[in-house]
Amino acid sequence: MSFYENDYTIKERRTLDKEGGVIMRYVCSICGYVYDESQEQVAFSQLPDSWVCPICKADQSLFVGEEKEKETINLDVSWNDPIVYSTGEEAAICSNLARGCEKQYKDEEMKLFQMLSDYLTSKMEEETEINLKTMEQMLQQDLSQHYPALHHQAEEIEDRGTQRICVWGEKVTSILHSLLMRYQQSQGRFLRDTDIWVCSVCGFVFVGDNPPDLCPVCKVPAWKFEKIEGREQS
Amino acid sequence: MKYKAVRNIRLCTKDCLCLYVCPTGATDTENSIIDVNKCIGCGDCAKACPSGAISMVPQDYPPQQSKEASILSLSHVLTHHKARQEQLAKQLAQTSSSDELYRLMKAFEKSIRLVNEDILRESGYMLPQSTQVHDLLKTWIQDPPLDDFPRDIAQKLLDMIPCNELPVKRYRCKVCGAIFEIKEGEELICPICQATQDQLEIIDF
Ligand code: SF4
Ligand code: SF4
Ligand SMILES: [Zn+2]
Ligand SMILES: [Zn+2]
Repeated sequence: MSFYENDYTIKERRTLDKEGGVIMRYVCSICGYVYDESQEQVAFSQLPDSWVCPICKADQSLFVGEEKEKETINLDVSWNDPIVYSTGEEAAICSNLARGCEKQYKDEEMKLFQMLSDYLTSKMEEETEINLKTMEQMLQQDLSQHYPALHHQAEEIEDRGTQRICVWGEKVTSILHSLLMRYQQSQGRFLRDTDIWVCSVCGFVFVGDNPPDLCPVCKVPAWKFEKIEGREQS
Repeated sequence: MKYKAVRNIRLCTKDCLCLYVCPTGATDTENSIIDVNKCIGCGDCAKACPSGAISMVPQDYPPQQSKEASILSLSHVLTHHKARQEQLAKQLAQTSSSDELYRLMKAFEKSIRLVNEDILRESGYMLPQSTQVHDLLKTWIQDPPLDDFPRDIAQKLLDMIPCNELPVKRYRCKVCGAIFEIKEGEELICPICQATQDQLEIIDF
């Protein structure tokens, strides 16, 4: 067992209270859209709960007030040495290598890696706590501990590739978390009569009749989005 | 670095400029796939194509950047957790009673896998040609992780994909006694006394 422990200061993600000072502009942490109170009729805090980012549909909790507060967070992440990958991780290694072969126009190799991945995916260890609460807690733990620990270490040693996956992964994980919260609040009503789209490059999830023109996280065009089919169709 | 031309058939508008410029006739084929055996990698077709349909694809890849142990460990904490979330999403979709939850969990399953692939790519599994991938395939062949693991597929991949990092061998010079390492394929010469070939012997690490 090894530990990663660190105290460091991050930019506070949530907005300040009314008493915390006047905040004029709120920025979407997913796509960068700005809600400028001086240009709008309604103060950000007065917006209805159903209001979401007009570009990427992130909910209000993902907006950051421009007057940011600093907060020290404590990271405490542990793992078992040496690294032993689970079947699910091995499955993802293989599907990733299948993509790598596809980009190199190696079709035969791509198919073989995909076969290995499909096999390993079918053998992934079953989860036991099958409920949305568990999912929510797992996503939350990534956002509050696992990503900050990796991101901070990558900054320390200037590993920019790892910093990029943290930026993308944190955004995608935030959006999954917020979709899950909305699902629970509305009993899934916001998904009725509309479609769910997944960016095939970064995994960003979008709810709407059409995919966005550009992926708000990785900036690929709309045709890179895949529509999720319902049970009957698939 | 060596390149070969590859035509993206979806983008090709059949303007045929590539046929006129290719010095070897590699672009002129009945199935629209550029003949790899004829292509000498000059790149003229890619420059001439008005549709940007031809890419020059590298044939050799440099060794990957190595990753720090701290990054690998912290990444593993994430990838382990993400794999569990993917499985949880899959099971939640299977047991869902509404179409909304089914679709949402299918989206989660796909999204989480993509995120996990990205983290693993940055954990040293970027290039199929890397030593790390070759070592993984070898481990699976020698010691399969599961009883019915398809070893033949792993073996096929190992045979098909060249490794871009040459194995290193250790030598002892019989003339001066120096011990040193030389990459396979490089000239066999003692760095101290310049003795060569038969005067060097391979020793274990
Ligand atoms: S020049 Fe480009 S568009 Fe024209 S035939 Fe060749 S690949 Fe196709
Ligand atoms: S790179 Fe040169 S040799 Fe190869 S197909 Fe294009 S024009 Fe022909
Ligand atoms: Zn947004
Ligand atoms: Zn994207």
